[in-house]
Amino acid sequence: MHLAPATFSDTGAGDARKISVAQVLVYELRVRDAMSKPPITAGPADSLRTIQELMRTRRISGVPITSNDLLLGIISIEDIINALTRGYIDDPAENHMARHVVTLRDHFSLVRAVAEFDRHEFGRFPVLDGNDRLVGILTRGDITGCLMQHLERRAEEALAVEAALRATKKADDAADRVVVRAHVRTGDYDSAGRVSQRMRQVLRERGVDPEIRRRAAVVAYEAETNIMIHSLGGEIIAAIDPAKVVIEAIDVGPGIENVEQAMQEGWTTAGRLPRELGFGAGMGLPNIKRCSDNLTITSDNKHGTYLRSEIYIHKAGAPT
Amino acid sequence: MKTSTRVKFQPLIAALRAEPLTDRVPDELSGSYISDLLSDVLAHAKPGTLWLTIQTHRNVVSVAATKDIAAVLFTCGRRPYAEVIAEAEAEGIALLTTPLATYEAAGTLWEAGFR
Repeated sequence: MHLAPATFSDTGAGDARKISVAQVLVYELRVRDAMSKPPITAGPADSLRTIQELMRTRRISGVPITSNDLLLGIISIEDIINALTRGYIDDPAENHMARHVVTLRDHFSLVRAVAEFDRHEFGRFPVLDGNDRLVGILTRGDITGCLMQHLERRAEEALAVEAALRATKKADDAADRVVVRAHVRTGDYDSAGRVSQRMRQVLRERGVDPEIRRRAAVVAYEAETNIMIHSLGGEIIAAIDPAKVVIEAIDVGPGIENVEQAMQEGWTTAGRLPRELGFGAGMGLPNIKRCSDNLTITSDNKHGTYLRSEIYIHKAGAPT
Repeated sequence: MKTSTRVKFQPLIAALRAEPLTDRVPDELSGSYISDLLSDVLAHAKPGTLWLTIQTHRNVVSVAATKDIAAVLFTCGRRPYAEVIAEAEAEGIALLTTPLATYEAAGTLWEAGFR
């Protein structure tokens, strides 16, 4: 086991301050987390043969001798071998047990336990609680097993967190895209701005920079009123994702005769009523162009007009 | 007329003999713009301003909301329909009406130091 604190005293050298999970764990985990419990024990009057049998069946190499949970001594496999060679295997444990036993406290950190193993070269330590009662046995194998178990748990937790993040991200991506659309009827001056209004709300909720919000709103509003004033009807669609707003205005005709001319400020074909209402200033398309980061318009008298405007959010966006 | 200073609105309302049509009016204004052409307002009005117009239909509210205009002042004593006022309330835009014509209203604002 090389979880020695020496690794920590090395931290002066370069970026050795990077501490592994195992190193953190030996500080965090306590002896009580790693020890085998309840301990397998024998009484002082039990024969060494009984203890030998206990070691064989339970596959252990040391047995603490206790009375009322208090530790009296310990019998190791070496003591059994000696008893067999020298012929006192039927003696009671108390006659041959080691009485000065080095113990650990259950609240010790594992790093301290590792240091004790290194210092004493024992295979196991009896573990006592605050009332000196024997509560467990700790071997190096227990420490390794405990660390492996916790590392595995941490790894699983990390994987679970990662998977959860991925799932959330996926859900976010889907929810991040909002599409607002509406049919626009010719001359329906009272309904103008419905898409624009809902789009503004979404952008506001996302904390999009007000200037970008206003530009998108101008495009949507102008595009919507264009369909209303000039076309035989159509549709307006605003697709909002974290990076940009895409506004599409599609109408069924009659098409813009001269797109270049229509892009000039002040040029209008609007009728009297819309002009009285304050529409038809000949500024719609120029306004759209000014507010768009990317604008395409295609128009012919067969298919009507298709307008697509992109407004980028990324710069001051900070979508939440 | 465009200004960039922030001006208290309450004294101007008195000078214009204006009547607020919505429950709330803004405390301050950052400027003013005058136009009856919606696209012109969309092109040039700044956020937080007072917009003077004779148009009273609901698109005025839409345009004001689009540009984050703080308040709309209808001149020549014009009044919008109740549904327009309700929409303005919902959008958080103040509506007011003044008996003054647009030119007189602008002059009054100028005289009151709103420049």
